[in-house]
Amino acid sequence: MKKDKKMIVCFLTPALFMFSVIFLYPVLRTIAMSFFQVEGVSDAFSTWKFTGLDNYITLLQTPIFLDSMKNMLKIWVYGGIAVMLVSLLFAAILTNGLAGKTFYKTVIYIPNIINAVAMSTMWITAIFNKRFGFLHNFFALFNSDLAKTDYMSGSIKFWSLLVAFCFGSVGYYMLIFMGGIERLSPDMYEAATIDGASKVKQFTRITLPLLRGVFKTCLTFWSIGVVGFFVWSQMWSAPLASELSTTTPFVYMYNITFGTQGNTFRNAAMGAAVGVLMAVTVLIVFFLINFLIKDDDVEV
Amino acid sequence: MKKQKASTLEARKQLRMLPGHLVVGLWCLFTIGMLAWIVAASLSTSPEIMRGEALKFATGFHFENYINAWTANNISVFFVNSLLYASCTMVGSLAISAPAAYVLGRYVFKGNKLVRNGFITAMSLPQIMIILPLFSLATQASLTGSKFVLIFIYIGMQVPYTTTFLISFFSSLSSVYEEAAAIDGCPPMKTFWKIMLPLAQPGIVTVGIFNFMNIWNEYFLSLIFASSEKNMSVGPGLKSVLTAMQYTGDWGGLFAAVVIVFLPTLVLFLCLSKTIISGITAGGVKG
Repeated sequence: MKKDKKMIVCFLTPALFMFSVIFLYPVLRTIAMSFFQVEGVSDAFSTWKFTGLDNYITLLQTPIFLDSMKNMLKIWVYGGIAVMLVSLLFAAILTNGLAGKTFYKTVIYIPNIINAVAMSTMWITAIFNKRFGFLHNFFALFNSDLAKTDYMSGSIKFWSLLVAFCFGSVGYYMLIFMGGIERLSPDMYEAATIDGASKVKQFTRITLPLLRGVFKTCLTFWSIGVVGFFVWSQMWSAPLASELSTTTPFVYMYNITFGTQGNTFRNAAMGAAVGVLMAVTVLIVFFLINFLIKDDDVEV
Repeated sequence: MKKQKASTLEARKQLRMLPGHLVVGLWCLFTIGMLAWIVAASLSTSPEIMRGEALKFATGFHFENYINAWTANNISVFFVNSLLYASCTMVGSLAISAPAAYVLGRYVFKGNKLVRNGFITAMSLPQIMIILPLFSLATQASLTGSKFVLIFIYIGMQVPYTTTFLISFFSSLSSVYEEAAAIDGCPPMKTFWKIMLPLAQPGIVTVGIFNFMNIWNEYFLSLIFASSEKNMSVGPGLKSVLTAMQYTGDWGGLFAAVVIVFLPTLVLFLCLSKTIISGITAGGVKG
């Protein structure tokens, strides 16, 4: 198809141009920037001062950054386990011939299509408000002391944030798991039923092992999502711009590069170093997932 | 008689799955309850909400909350902005991605695999990796604070995802159409516009909806590139309403604003849930 060369070039150029401007050039510049000392985001290249690995070394000795990494790890591990278990459970229930399946999965997915700012406002007010929230009213019903809990302060704050975030994520991973389960051949289950395997046994012995590939996809998406954790953290620290208990590396990077109220310390190159560290983290997780989970089965 | 037997059998089966119904049902009830409470609160006065009486409507329905939110809280501006950003991005990214996906999906040429892999890598790249140089580019071109720069970045951001999604659609089409068109003397570019693009319509609709919703719900880029309220989209806009609420104490107006922000995507989703859900289940790609 030699004569279509012109068409290939014409059709591909706009997409490649956008890709270069929005992704390729920025990535290269961010990597380069992380090895220099740069104060403002838009400072010209001529004002940059090469400092080697200094930014990374300083970063790994900054308590706020290390705390933000710890928060991110907690979200990844605790949130990840909860979301994967619940969505897998829901997927198993819904693919079992439950009446009203379409209704259930539509409603469970709803939080995913609602703006995160709107969604978190709902959680903060309707559920967690200490005066009129659902949890307050629920515990007040039993005259329990728990009704006095303030979910938006102290050490509980992180957990209320995590619960709200995970609740919304379930629908998405549930749909991916359902897609994987529905692609498995019904013959296997028929054979297993004839051989006398219970539903639970069928799930643990047939469904789970065959879902490895799907599980890998979910873990990858989850990791990418957690690295991008930003808006929920900002909502939970409002009216402050950020707060230690809910700060993630993304929020930390935003604070040091774009500056927040009452904080004049700005260091763009350090922000770039945070970005590179996050990208490397995703890469490592990605390789670990691929190394640990071998998939020779259903691919999503 | 037979039908009756089948229905009792089905009823018994559903009864056996009662724990399943209970678990999933409670989860759904919680979600619907939360949305319903917000809508109820958006029609109540602030003192009623504070007393926890949002569901009583003792003083009737207060639709003026919506008028307040729409005008005084500037939601109208954010709403129109988001509509503009989402529509332009939807059209723009399709215009760029559909032709690219077509040649990537149907032609064998050097670099094809490389481009595809580049797009997939771009999809999993954390936004913090690209935001700083983009901001400096925009400053150098003195474009910060204009709507154009945000639209341009949004379109570029959606290109890898849109292209990757459409590649699988184009490669699943039969080559019979192109062969027939070639025999009839139709040039390949015309074949694409007149024959192949209409055939890929289901995929284009699905990915278009996803892009619209993604941009409607986008937060970070709008926060960085829309420095003033007149360019803000609904995400950062709603957050500024929330911040202002601490001083005005207008809870009713806040909830009305929340409803206005989530209603478009909710209605879109409920109308097109079948398309959207099958798009996610089949592709396993972020929507």
